[in-house]
Amino acid sequence: MTLQRHSVVPLARLLAVVGGLIFLASCGGSSSSTPINPPPPPTTNNSIDLSVNLGPTAPTTDYFNGLFASVEVCEPGSTTNCTTVPNVLVDTGSYGLRLLSGAVSGLSLPAVTDSGGNAVQECIGFISLAYIWGPVVQADIHLSGESASSASVHIISESPQYSVPSSCIPTGPVGTPEDLNSVSALGANGILGLGGFPQDCGSACADASTAPAQYYSCPSGNCNITAVPTTSTKGQVWNPVALFPQDNNGVLISLLSVPAGGAATDSGSLIFGIGTQTNNALGSVQIYGVSDQAYFTTTYNGTQFSNSFIDSGSNAYYFLDSGALGGIECADYQGWYCPGSPLSITVTNTGTNGTTGSVTFTIENTDSLFNTGFAAFNDLGGDSGDSLSTDYFDFGVPFFLGRNVFVGIAGQTVTGVSNVPYGFWAY
Amino acid sequence: MKTIARVLLILTLGAVPAWAVLGEYESSVSLDTQFMRGEDRVTSAQGYKLHQITSPTGAVVTEYVSPEGKVFGVSWRAPVIPNLEQLLGSYITPVQQAAQAQTRRRGGPFIVRAGDLVFVSGGHMRAFRGSAYVPSLLPKNVSAEVVR
Repeated sequence: MTLQRHSVVPLARLLAVVGGLIFLASCGGSSSSTPINPPPPPTTNNSIDLSVNLGPTAPTTDYFNGLFASVEVCEPGSTTNCTTVPNVLVDTGSYGLRLLSGAVSGLSLPAVTDSGGNAVQECIGFISLAYIWGPVVQADIHLSGESASSASVHIISESPQYSVPSSCIPTGPVGTPEDLNSVSALGANGILGLGGFPQDCGSACADASTAPAQYYSCPSGNCNITAVPTTSTKGQVWNPVALFPQDNNGVLISLLSVPAGGAATDSGSLIFGIGTQTNNALGSVQIYGVSDQAYFTTTYNGTQFSNSFIDSGSNAYYFLDSGALGGIECADYQGWYCPGSPLSITVTNTGTNGTTGSVTFTIENTDSLFNTGFAAFNDLGGDSGDSLSTDYFDFGVPFFLGRNVFVGIAGQTVTGVSNVPYGFWAY
Repeated sequence: MKTIARVLLILTLGAVPAWAVLGEYESSVSLDTQFMRGEDRVTSAQGYKLHQITSPTGAVVTEYVSPEGKVFGVSWRAPVIPNLEQLLGSYITPVQQAAQAQTRRRGGPFIVRAGDLVFVSGGHMRAFRGSAYVPSLLPKNVSAEVVR
């Protein structure tokens, strides 16, 4: 069934009061006929609130289209030594929970150690060439009624015990690379990575001979790359959803629509599980399988972009380049689009399972949007590359506004879904 | 002390071109393979040559070499972003500067057009990709779009 949108509720109540006269009109929506026997209530509370707002660093630094949630973490096995961290970025483009050290400073969280008994540290580089760095610890993660027990969590150190190894800084040891180990730089208190892989690295990091510059240990103060297994405890950082005892095959992100030109804020729900409870049925959405690198293909004007994806951690539609669109880059904001009039873009997405479907969105003038002081925009866009050979489509937060978007985790079973070994998107 | 300081400075600066590739001569590619512990596969294309270096970590770095033997472009597909100082050499400076000047774009691709460099970093966790090229070093009749 289609999820009921929050904004529809008052209208539905009104219709119920007015009665049969408007009954036919109310049937014109996307929901199907009323079931004769209402389904049983959910067995586990599997939903948390989502908010699109300017983030914890506003107004000093506004985070446009920042998608945030609160996450509760506890010392393993404890129900009292817990803290709730607000303003954690909800990111379908990464895997696992990462929290600033200051957000969990009141907790004593045990270190995850490697085979040599040394505390595991992790470095994550971003495509912006910034990075985060700090230890991997164990914590119980609570999201509504769902729990990931003794999960590996990456702590983003605001005062790191060890210097960040130069091998994990994308820009190298020369210069001053940008670290995001603070709320002011990160723009959030942490990142909740809910993408379609169970772990943030996978088998490569489990073997010392193939491990890339991601997990380290620092015996006698020198940090070297170390092997960390893919095991669900005392191993790599996992998407916590894959660790839940139930509702563990993916998530549904459901956000209210906003009008053209944006809204001050937006809200919605993050629902755990796919097809496991009454509130997370796939219904009539289409399933788009992704590649072993979590990409699908987007076709625009006959050109295929095979490295496209959906990402709630991207705050705009990042696609094509200004030249390909006739020169619409903003004069003042580099990399942002400022079309003279609203620009409609229609593309076709193709999953690895052969599903195809079109998506149409509109891009408006970024200058005008930023000047509103609003946080939530469905029409914010910027470039993705330099030419058609490097461009792709990154469907960021604007894509989620007014949609139900499912992320299916690789290797997990979803009733009625097959032929998607690396997970899927559904919308 | 001054002499020692100068010698150290020269040694430090001297180390950079040793790892550098973009804009350097083809011979620097072999240093890359050593650094990445990778296998180098060389192929020819119309008007240029490619070195494709595959490392045990799954990183694939492609280096594009002109008939004059200069590396005019590099690209990567990798589980973590490779050491770009090693790949870009002296061209890393405008990239570093731009990396510290980013605002408002969050989680999106990172693109630098600075002087004689075009740089693109994109993709997502576990599957990063990117490229860089030097327009003035493009061989005759070779489009920048070959660097991908």
